[in-house]
Amino acid sequence: MKIGLEVHVALPTKSKLFCSCSMADTDEPNSQICPICLGFPGAKPMLNEAAVSSALGIAAALHCNINKEISFVRKVYFYPDLPKCYQITQMEGAIGSRGYLEIEGKEVRIRRVQIEEDPAQIVREGMLTLLDFNRSGTPLVEIVTEPDITTEEELRAFIANLRSILYYLGVDINKEIKADLNISLAEVRVEVKNVTGIKSLIEATRFEIERQAEAIKNGEEIARETRGYNEKNKLTESLREKETDEEYGYIYDPDLTTFEINGIEHAKAVYITEVSQRLTEGTDVDPKTIKEMTMLDRRALGLINKFNGKYKLRSVVHGMQRFQKYAGNLNAADHKIEKSIALAEKGVAITKEMIQDIAEGKEVKVKYEKVGNAELDDMIKKFLDKNPKVLEEYRRNKKTANLVIGIIAKESNLHPKDVARRVNQVLSAY
Amino acid sequence: MRSFVNEFLKLEKPKGYYEELVSEISMLNKEYHAFTNINSKMIDCAEGSIPFSSKANICVKGFETTAGSKMLKGYIPPFDATAVERMLGSGSFSFLGETNMDEFGFGTFGLNTETPARNAFGREYVAGGSSSGAAVATALLKYHVALSESTGGSISTPAALNGVVGFTPTYGTISRYGLIDYANSLDKIGVMARSSGDARIAFDIVRGKDRYDTTCSVEKINGNKKTKLFVVKELMEKTEKRVKASFSSLLDKLSSDYEIREISSEILSKSIAPYYIIAMAEASTNLAKYDGYKYGLQYEGYNKRYNDFFTEARSSFGDEAKRRIILGTFIRSESVKAKYYTKALRIRALIIKEMSRILHEGFIISPTIPIPTPKISEAASLTPLENYAIDIFTIPPNIGGFPHITFPYGYMDGMPLGAQVITEQANDYAVLDFVSDWEEEFEYRYKHDVGSL
Repeated sequence: MKIGLEVHVALPTKSKLFCSCSMADTDEPNSQICPICLGFPGAKPMLNEAAVSSALGIAAALHCNINKEISFVRKVYFYPDLPKCYQITQMEGAIGSRGYLEIEGKEVRIRRVQIEEDPAQIVREGMLTLLDFNRSGTPLVEIVTEPDITTEEELRAFIANLRSILYYLGVDINKEIKADLNISLAEVRVEVKNVTGIKSLIEATRFEIERQAEAIKNGEEIARETRGYNEKNKLTESLREKETDEEYGYIYDPDLTTFEINGIEHAKAVYITEVSQRLTEGTDVDPKTIKEMTMLDRRALGLINKFNGKYKLRSVVHGMQRFQKYAGNLNAADHKIEKSIALAEKGVAITKEMIQDIAEGKEVKVKYEKVGNAELDDMIKKFLDKNPKVLEEYRRNKKTANLVIGIIAKESNLHPKDVARRVNQVLSAY
Repeated sequence: MRSFVNEFLKLEKPKGYYEELVSEISMLNKEYHAFTNINSKMIDCAEGSIPFSSKANICVKGFETTAGSKMLKGYIPPFDATAVERMLGSGSFSFLGETNMDEFGFGTFGLNTETPARNAFGREYVAGGSSSGAAVATALLKYHVALSESTGGSISTPAALNGVVGFTPTYGTISRYGLIDYANSLDKIGVMARSSGDARIAFDIVRGKDRYDTTCSVEKINGNKKTKLFVVKELMEKTEKRVKASFSSLLDKLSSDYEIREISSEILSKSIAPYYIIAMAEASTNLAKYDGYKYGLQYEGYNKRYNDFFTEARSSFGDEAKRRIILGTFIRSESVKAKYYTKALRIRALIIKEMSRILHEGFIISPTIPIPTPKISEAASLTPLENYAIDIFTIPPNIGGFPHITFPYGYMDGMPLGAQVITEQANDYAVLDFVSDWEEEFEYRYKHDVGSL
């Protein structure tokens, strides 16, 4: 089985790809438009350098060859959402080509990373087809893979890794990811177009794998076709059969010259898998824990880097996990998070109240002391020596243990849970 | 240096001058169809303003701009082209109106539009194209400059046929922002005027970088005079004999100041095919946007399927536009692209290389068109291929983006004769100076002098 992806995500720029219209969120349709993104006669595109810079970061993160000069092409097709009836996109002069993304010991090859403009949005209301051009000219990056993904698990891993890399470059694909899938179990390639969202992407893949497998099993021929994903019914449907590749009549866009990308700054990539491996080397912390914690939280990674060394990695991770759990997130001042880490380092069982106190800037009352097992066992034995009847009572009624736990915990200022663990052990050993 | 613009600024204008001007040109326009639209507000313009016109494919805010096409009927641009903005911003010029043209610039004679412009020297003759109206307007008005545009000869040809100066600058010198695209890698805004001095004044106002046009990058313009004039043998061979004879007499006159040399260049005689391939490929993408519901023509068949809607709406293009859309789309198709489009780009590169080499040594001079001015009836009976062959002298500088100028050098049977001089890229002042020198010796003639003082 072979799966190839074409992933489209919006780049995080303030203005559109070829004009200075705002990219801010707005509820008012057609409020962020100009002659350029409406494709009016005589208007010309001017390239937004921020979009190039952002896409350059992505291409570099995917280990692509970066082209020294980039150029654009016109992809011509007629559809009402496309103001010029051609889309400005890239081919040979794309930002990057021939890269890869690593997933659990395997490389998924990246054919191309390119930038292009998004068409307008079609809104259907009853009999009407309405057009909102606010979206027209949104800078998109398209990441095209080779058909190297062979299982659903690999697809999940690919998406997860891609998501974390893009996240650290300022692009959150959880919000909006649009992808075209190419899936072939046999010779014939089936394309599933315009799948939106990670969940749908996985579901559409699963459905399509099963559909093709079933067809092959029944000795049916798989048609070369383009399918769409029906989110409601969770299935793919045939849109059109295709005898040949679509004809888009690409030519160079003569309104945009060749751009040299030397000197355009871009962000460096953060590879979470590598980072978590490196951090956990020689410690007893599972790299997966770090990976999960930091995958989509820039702050988590920053905090780990800051406090690792000053405290043990285990304490850093544990303290942060507790904070995250009880406060809901890590959006607090560094010194507050550090308090939680310090408690973890001391071996204190961190409670919700403690985190609340930290968050509110109050003094943390450490309720329970901590002792080692041997010390605790000694305390229990001493108590039994002083109260020999307890043992007899315990043999008749196991609940007697609770009495013992309560007394010892109170006297020693230890956590009842900690005491309970040892009391049950010691009592049952007698 | 002769300049009607400078002369105009010095002269006293009588009261009601602009009213008279607008009314007189409006009357004449009924015969010549030079303008598609005359700006009646011109009568309220600032005292001393010089009228300028713009070709109907250059956007003027609030003014119907159709590029000579039914598809853009009623289209009123919400913005000014950069060139128009700069003319208006100069404070010396006022907008008189938009000038007639072949639909989207597709034509050599100005006939590919609903109401073609007529030659200012004889209404039964073609005005030339595609900037037909700009040339006729310049031949009708004494004090006026015309912003026009050339893709493959659309300034030189009509300027020559109407006996005016037609200047096409280096590609990328004047911003194309607001110019309705024909073929973006070839389109150049230029100027027509009654003297090279006037063309230079307008050129200096509108030229220079513009952030709205990425391809507009030429800032520094030179005027390196050349002493050699080259005549390309392969092109002259295709010239009609009477035109050839007249042109020889021009060379005789110029031989006292220039060294005239015949050269041979096979590739320059092969420029028509790559030019039309590139132009049609680009044009067919530019014309995709006219689909009958956004601006201009409103096709009301909203109950139709998209493809039927687009097909029916787009049937309003003229024949030549349809021909170029179909051929251009074919040229771009995957199966033949390498054979035509990619090869044409390579030949263009070779032509540029060859011409740069020649033009470094001297100017190239030729008649502007290889035939005497045809009558409208004669031109209408030409096949498309015969039609395209008329562009043999104008295409080489246009395909390579080289600055060139056409100027009247004589009159044959009462019709003006034009010659064209080409120079190196960014050496635009040199050809303007060449014609300025010529104007010291030669007086241009006109049948009309609307607005004279």
